[in-house]
Amino acid sequence: MEPFFTSSKQVQNIIKGFNLTKTLFVSSIIIGEANIGKKSLARYLFPDAPLVSGEDQKEVEKLLREVDELIITDFEKLSNQESLNLDNKRIIATANYMGNQQTIDKIFAFIYTLPSLKERPDDTNYIRDMFIKEAESTLMLKENDFSVSDIPINLSDNSKTLKKTIYTYLMKHSMDDKDIQEAIYNYILQNLSGNNEYKEHLGLYEKPLIEAGLKKYGSQLQLSQVLGINRNTLRKKIHEHRID
Amino acid sequence: MNTESIDFQSFLDWDNSPFILFNNQSKILYLNNSAELLFGYASKKELYDLALAYAPPSFGHKTTTLSLNYDSFTFYAITVGYEDEEQISIRFYNTPRIKPAKPIEKNKLVNTNINLLLEANIALFKTKNTNTLQLLADHDLPSFKIDQNGFSKLLRKTLDAFRSSDSIRITLKLLVGEHVIISGEKKAIVQLAIEANGRYNDTDEEISSLAMQSHISSLLKENTIKLEIPLIQ
Repeated sequence: MEPFFTSSKQVQNIIKGFNLTKTLFVSSIIIGEANIGKKSLARYLFPDAPLVSGEDQKEVEKLLREVDELIITDFEKLSNQESLNLDNKRIIATANYMGNQQTIDKIFAFIYTLPSLKERPDDTNYIRDMFIKEAESTLMLKENDFSVSDIPINLSDNSKTLKKTIYTYLMKHSMDDKDIQEAIYNYILQNLSGNNEYKEHLGLYEKPLIEAGLKKYGSQLQLSQVLGINRNTLRKKIHEHRID
Repeated sequence: MNTESIDFQSFLDWDNSPFILFNNQSKILYLNNSAELLFGYASKKELYDLALAYAPPSFGHKTTTLSLNYDSFTFYAITVGYEDEEQISIRFYNTPRIKPAKPIEKNKLVNTNINLLLEANIALFKTKNTNTLQLLADHDLPSFKIDQNGFSKLLRKTLDAFRSSDSIRITLKLLVGEHVIISGEKKAIVQLAIEANGRYNDTDEEISSLAMQSHISSLLKENTIKLEIPLIQ
């Protein structure tokens, strides 16, 4: 059984409720934003129950006739909710949104709302660390190449965007000069057209160079010395690339 | 017909309608079994005053139609009578319980530990509310047959009525000495009472109808909801 980590009181109460009714024939639904672990929670609580997506209405109807324990994901996608008979069965449904509140209220005994990751900062940190470990092993990185606190956390689409930000951050921070050249090569291959393209694409090199330099050396005077260019030229380029 | 040698007392003892005989000092001279239960919810003074207020102007018996409510007891009329200056009697007429149109569906009922359903519903309640709850449950209640899904819906709705209440107290117990007749059989009653300093009543109709579907009688008051659940085994 895959563990389900949570330090949120609300989620712990949901788990408690499910554990108490585990042996009973009641219908429950977990409602919450996409990618916050509804399906994983249902799987964790009922590891042996068959699982079907609400996208496949025929299969849902068939399984409801055949089994008395069932996980139905994407319940909001079922168009015949009202006509389903969930009595005397152990049904665990998940849905990204409530849909028709009256129908849900009528057919489900337990209606749980799983809070999004934004509302569960501790859980988010746990999931972030899990994704980082996974990314490290996938990308074959050494642990000390980066600092965890520097990784931005993007929860706009919950765990999906969280995972994406981690992977892109770690990839960007583990590139060597060959990788960078390759990335620029691919970019230019796709975007090269026109008549002033040398100057247009110079920013790909100059902008990060000046930005990183300013961060590292603090003043334009010092940076111009490090770069070996005239201070006025540097000022002009800063203006050109709209660097603050 | 000479009835003087017949002892009517046992017939009165076992009458389902409460009957009380007071003397003129408001002392109880006689009460039947049903009145004994009533005294669990109403005071002696209250009932004596009621008898005086509805007494006929002179010797005799007078029946008054009125609506009376003491906890789960509801009456639609009382008869007050006195034949001398010494004694006064009061008899209460039970309001008939509305029978659900649907007979109980035994195949839907599953032997259940009611405490499990209650605690799961409290856990659900706690995912949405932070109010403090006090639970006093009888864990020795035997398992009995419940429509688990239907009953859970009823519990959810009932607890939701207390979503912003303070000091919620939940008690679950067997009502000693009280019974209900279901499909011709006498059943014990389990009472779930939820009390608080106030509650919402927007879903009272739904609660009553859900309760009725499960053959549960519901008492909805300003600060309390009581569910009387037949113990079907």
